[in-house]
Amino acid sequence: MTRLAFVTACMILGACARQDSYQPQVPGGDAQRGRIALRQHECGVCHLIPGIHAARGYVGPPLTTFAMNVYVAGKYPNTPAYLVRWIMDAPALAPETAMPALGVTEAEARDMAAYLYTLE
Amino acid sequence: MKYEIHRKRGFLLAAAGAIALVLVGIGGGFVILLSGALSTDATTQHFRLTHRILDAGLRFSVRNSSRSIVAPTLTDPAMVMRGLSCYRQHCVQCHGSPGSAQSDAAKGLLPIPNSLAESAREWPPESLYYITRKGVRMTGMPAWEFRISDEGLWSTTAFLMTLPLLTPERYRQMEDASLSESCPPARDGSTFSTDRADMLLRQYACHSCHRIEGIVGPNSHVGPALSDWSRRRYIAGILPNTPENLVRWIRDPQSVSPTTLMPDLGVDEAHARQMAVYLMALK
Repeated sequence: MTRLAFVTACMILGACARQDSYQPQVPGGDAQRGRIALRQHECGVCHLIPGIHAARGYVGPPLTTFAMNVYVAGKYPNTPAYLVRWIMDAPALAPETAMPALGVTEAEARDMAAYLYTLE
Repeated sequence: MKYEIHRKRGFLLAAAGAIALVLVGIGGGFVILLSGALSTDATTQHFRLTHRILDAGLRFSVRNSSRSIVAPTLTDPAMVMRGLSCYRQHCVQCHGSPGSAQSDAAKGLLPIPNSLAESAREWPPESLYYITRKGVRMTGMPAWEFRISDEGLWSTTAFLMTLPLLTPERYRQMEDASLSESCPPARDGSTFSTDRADMLLRQYACHSCHRIEGIVGPNSHVGPALSDWSRRRYIAGILPNTPENLVRWIRDPQSVSPTTLMPDLGVDEAHARQMAVYLMALK
């Protein structure tokens, strides 16, 4: 009986689970390096980032489901190209934002983006 | 004694049978659901029986819910004209008017929106008022209570009651005469309650883009999740997160951030305040 309930629950959850057909790829980006870069640049002071110890900030939005988000900062389509630009220099895309230009290299930004796209 | 045992066994068998039937029913329902055999397209019609059952359910439900409503006098010509201005603005798209069809979008709906000339003959004004105010779930009929004032809703009802009597020509004359009238918008200063605020958030479609604690919806990732809102330090990464700023953001996001995708939703100030209280209470 419990087994039946378990199988049924799995079927229901499986049927209801969201399947994104859009899977962003960041050319040259490495998620593991990105995780380290996010930590080194202390992104967690402002953002909650799963998988990064002490990344518990609430100044910016939590990045918990970043891969599923439709927009970057509610302003631009969540594509690798926009995300990399946003990470490098957010004020260039939206002068009103509190997110600073971080002075990260494009390679680092690509790695960070690759990591953020692992968050579902 | 023996008879007693037999009776007991019979009862147990019947109970077991009933439970088995219910389980088979639920299981069968799941199989049909998961097989994908149920059509959700709007071009496949309901079975006649399904339609009858749903229609009967609607009638009983509306009659029950509108029981305690008492209609005011609905014969005042000025009220009828005001109601027509609401009808013109909000109803004709889907319900059409004497001699004019509904819009193309409405032609493709399932269920098809009723001709209100007929509805006004069939339903008492209290029911018409109730349906207009509250909408009908899983049809295209929206709730209007957050768009049209209570007086406007009764005016609309007053107009609907005259609809079965109008020729196309008379309707056009009245329509021309009603152009100077406008449909009175909802204004709501009612005090805060959590129930009311979550209804407001839903009625301004917040959950079409945001995931919000306590609100069942499409689980959208278009805007940020608002689940732990009181912990956020900034609104949209721009304004410090205070109730006043939140009200300002909700009412006119594009004046704060020209680049934001969050639209102006036409939120009334009293409504925005209630939403802000709700969001600020999310830990």
